[in-house]
Amino acid sequence: MASSDRKVSAPLSRSIRGTTPARLQDLASTPESPRTPIRATSSLFGSPGGGFRTEDEYLVLELGSRFVRGGFPGESAPRCTLPFGPDQQRRVGDYRQWDPESTHRRKKRRRDQDWGQDHELYRLDLTEVDLGLVEDKFERAMREAYNKYFLLDPKPRRILLALPPRTPHPLMSTVLEVLFGNFQAPSIMLMSSPILSTVAAGLRSALVVDIGWAETTVTGVCEYREVHEQRSIRAGKLLSEDMAKLLNAQFNENVEEGSPKVGVSFEEAEEVLTRVGWCKSRPRSDRKTLYFPARTSPVLEEFEDAVELPEPTITIPFTHSMPPTELTVPFASLAKPTESALFAPDTPLNELDDHELPLHHLIYRALLSLPMDVRRLCMSRIIITGGVSNLPGLKTRILSELEALVQQRGWDPVRSYGSASARHEQILRKQKENLELQREEADDKVSESLDPDTPSAPLSPGLQDPEVDPIDTKLAHLALTGGPPSTCCVGGTIRGVETLGAWAGASLVAQLRIKGIVEIERERFLQHGLLGASREKEVSVVPQRQSMGPGVGRGAGERASWTLGVWA
Amino acid sequence: MAQPFPYTYYSCDCYDSKITPNPSKRASQPPPADDEDERTFDPRNPRSNYSLYPLEHLLYCEDCQQIRCQRCVIEETLNWFCPSCLFEVPSSVIKSDGNRCTRNCYNCPVCTSPMTVNSLENPADPSSSGGPWILACPYCHWSTVEIGIEFEKHTGITSQLTRIGNGGKAIPTPKERDKERERRKELETMKKDRDVLSGSEDSPTTDRGRDDGPPSHDDIFSNLSAFYKSQIASQTPSNPFSPHEINFSSPSSFSRIMNLYSSTTSKKQKREKPAPMREAASVLEGLIIHDPSEDAAAIERIKKEGWSSTLSSTQKFAQPIPTIRFDSELRPIASLLCTKRGKRCRSCRHILSKPESKITSTRYKIKLLALNHILRLSLRALSTTTIQPGTPSPLAFDYNNLKSGIPTHFLLHLSNPLFDPIRVTLATPSTTPGKIQSRVTILCPQFEVGANTDVWDDALSSSLSPIKKPTSIGPDGQPQTSIEAGKIWDRGRNWTSVIIEVIPGFVGGIGFSVGKSDPEDELDEDEDVLEIPIFVRLEFEADVNAEERGLGDSRGERGAREKREEAFWTVVGVGRIAKM
Repeated sequence: MASSDRKVSAPLSRSIRGTTPARLQDLASTPESPRTPIRATSSLFGSPGGGFRTEDEYLVLELGSRFVRGGFPGESAPRCTLPFGPDQQRRVGDYRQWDPESTHRRKKRRRDQDWGQDHELYRLDLTEVDLGLVEDKFERAMREAYNKYFLLDPKPRRILLALPPRTPHPLMSTVLEVLFGNFQAPSIMLMSSPILSTVAAGLRSALVVDIGWAETTVTGVCEYREVHEQRSIRAGKLLSEDMAKLLNAQFNENVEEGSPKVGVSFEEAEEVLTRVGWCKSRPRSDRKTLYFPARTSPVLEEFEDAVELPEPTITIPFTHSMPPTELTVPFASLAKPTESALFAPDTPLNELDDHELPLHHLIYRALLSLPMDVRRLCMSRIIITGGVSNLPGLKTRILSELEALVQQRGWDPVRSYGSASARHEQILRKQKENLELQREEADDKVSESLDPDTPSAPLSPGLQDPEVDPIDTKLAHLALTGGPPSTCCVGGTIRGVETLGAWAGASLVAQLRIKGIVEIERERFLQHGLLGASREKEVSVVPQRQSMGPGVGRGAGERASWTLGVWA
Repeated sequence: MAQPFPYTYYSCDCYDSKITPNPSKRASQPPPADDEDERTFDPRNPRSNYSLYPLEHLLYCEDCQQIRCQRCVIEETLNWFCPSCLFEVPSSVIKSDGNRCTRNCYNCPVCTSPMTVNSLENPADPSSSGGPWILACPYCHWSTVEIGIEFEKHTGITSQLTRIGNGGKAIPTPKERDKERERRKELETMKKDRDVLSGSEDSPTTDRGRDDGPPSHDDIFSNLSAFYKSQIASQTPSNPFSPHEINFSSPSSFSRIMNLYSSTTSKKQKREKPAPMREAASVLEGLIIHDPSEDAAAIERIKKEGWSSTLSSTQKFAQPIPTIRFDSELRPIASLLCTKRGKRCRSCRHILSKPESKITSTRYKIKLLALNHILRLSLRALSTTTIQPGTPSPLAFDYNNLKSGIPTHFLLHLSNPLFDPIRVTLATPSTTPGKIQSRVTILCPQFEVGANTDVWDDALSSSLSPIKKPTSIGPDGQPQTSIEAGKIWDRGRNWTSVIIEVIPGFVGGIGFSVGKSDPEDELDEDEDVLEIPIFVRLEFEADVNAEERGLGDSRGERGAREKREEAFWTVVGVGRIAKM
């Protein structure tokens, strides 16, 4: 009866909040006027509906702009990761990708297409997107997934779909149409990918930095809820374009005058990037000029990278060009695209637009705009995910850049005090001095307490240590033994946490049979489309709880209304 | 295109009909044409790639009287088998063991060719079992030796492989993993208790978990999963029938029945507020703190070992865990199972094709091919020299080298698989869509194609009167003069051929800017291919009972005829236009 277990589970808000506490909290916090609960008396006494009999089996899908991942709950990795490349868009019966001749031909970008556009499923600017084409591509990929990798029996499966928050509605509706229409899913549960990444990291609150293809999104997640979001176009697309520029420059350096210039294809740049691209783990050394508070972070203790002799190089084979060539590139230069595309160290911040902030500034700003207590939780739970985050060294780099930024600026939203900056400096210095003084005095006190003869000068009450309350210590002890371990409330320092990714999170959620807030029934969707969703962002769980009654599900599919949650 | 020229693609219009219900959503798109009917089919449109099929790939639904392509059928799996060992896998095993062969079928993770089990036996010192054994790729010579895996037996490779990690380390089974986790946890809590008692505030987690390297992907996942399960379980109240607590462990139907009697009083019951679920606190619970040393190690390794030690993206995606980076992390890939699938029409659910369930049989029980129901179009060049049947033409027409601006004649050959004569109407836009505009004229757009009668009829009748009715033209003689508008070229028992005149367009615009090579002017892939969209409309009379078989009440009308009409777009690939 595992299936009915899931049914009676309360419809949790968003994702795994503790089952009961979630309801209790909602009970307390829902600012709704009392209303008559919708009672499902008939289902109480009638025979359980068909919903009880169908076994709930899920498929877990994660949709990105370049890949779709699919698999089954409880598995640690997706069964398939399908790209949307040009080879996937050929006509049926067009087998040229296996033609040995074509592998030696360098693919050319089409005139009217952006860098890597033919590898994308969609782009967020929908004015340029043919939704019909998106539908075609997605349908074909899903057909491949179903027929080649899932190998299902004809029984329809529910789908847990991980989507980035703020997916445009037309796009969502296209995707849902395909899943409902062509693949007969009885219901689809939507969950937002930052939250699933949080789940896959074992956390409840986190700052999820998703370095994707078209853009990097930084999402503050607090208690499984998105609280803030910032985005920047410094992401995979820019990175691979920069890598292509680097390779082109390297190629054309050696080529003699007059011969045609080489333009590496998207596939080649991508391959180089994923295979040997890397990122310097430490910020550049011209940071000495920066002002640091007294305790400098160990990361920034400057030392020049020891110059290695001979300079290490990487030889990259290019089999797609005719004749196949090799290119030897200094290893250090392979880190340059990451540097320029994601961190933009050479551009002063004031020349950058809001949508192209370097990653560390983006994260810093996101943290800065979070409420203080959420910031405390989030800053020590920074999850860096997304395809680009696999570049070796990138995570370390982001974290150390961020740490430097925090050290330099503190949590002061004002960047320039203008004419008052002198005064501000003064205040800062004073604060620091006070802090130092305090510390010194604390040291002094120890020494003073050692010789009790000399009565110490009375400290100002603000500087005195608060009295130790025995009951407080006792409580702390109790909490330590009974409550959550101390690592659960770590906060206030920059700390990175690894995640298994949104797909694994979705797999966990589906395995634990937890219900999301956005669950779309096939019938309802086919009737009204996305317009059928209720307008409220958060459907209150309270009336549902009552209507469900204790342990008497109204069947999973009988919610009175459905909502689009974050996507509304 | 990859198909040799000339070729014919048929368009299945299923995507068109599906879009029409909600045209408002596409309002942002520039309307391609005023009217759906007015619009001509554009083979250059990226969407066309998804609706064009070679005739051989199409099915035909006799009840809907429509072409059915891969997207407008529903597929149902009949049975599963391994393509490598042809072993049929029951569906229960699919559920438990996944979509890969659990016998000895493995593919090379480097080049994907099937691997063989080889012996590494030392001839000087033969072992009793003939082992140790390895999986080796006969094509690229990669073998499991490179990842440090050897097997004791030559059978049951899968079960052995799941227990050996790369480098020969043993992988714990899920059960062992759980046990190990429990043991460690106990250790941890004991240690914590000690710490608390002694009053030290050391974090109990930092100093441990480092004994055997970073945990694997699977380890983390199972740790996380176990952690969440334990957290949810701890939310479960001790009283399983408490109405307001949700019970995850007992049969809910039972608790539901019990709740019938307690629900009235339940509201007044005081509930204790349980502690909220906490987050993972240690590696054993799935929390992995970012470790810069791993990054540094990866960079060092790339620096030292270079390109060849890294994996291409196709190799990565083929792996069970696609986040790996180096070739030492590769695992042999168990071969994906294949299925035999029946196909049903999406709209009327009739079976369109059903293979025999025996794995080794390639026969079909039901197979409704479009080949047998739809007029077949094919194109070939009309050679200007007379070709006697039997003697090969001295100069084969080069389809990859069409001459711009020179009118070329092609023979469009239509053959009819039906047992009824068909009236055909062809239509084509006068210039082809795309960058290179070629002029196309079908000299005879309306004609009849004879019925597909018995071959013997044909043989008998043709012996009496030659089918070739040279109206005014003959295939022999002077073709230049004999190509006449409004007349068919030739006709046979169930086929007719007509002439299409094509004037291939100029590759570089109108031929003036040929000299300079502007990158903006360069052609995209396949833009120099001359493809002609042709709209085909068929009219014929067929037996009514053909589609009403099984209804039984049509006996009286047997023999009644019914007028039918079919229409579809086809795309004929003529060839590649030569660069001037």
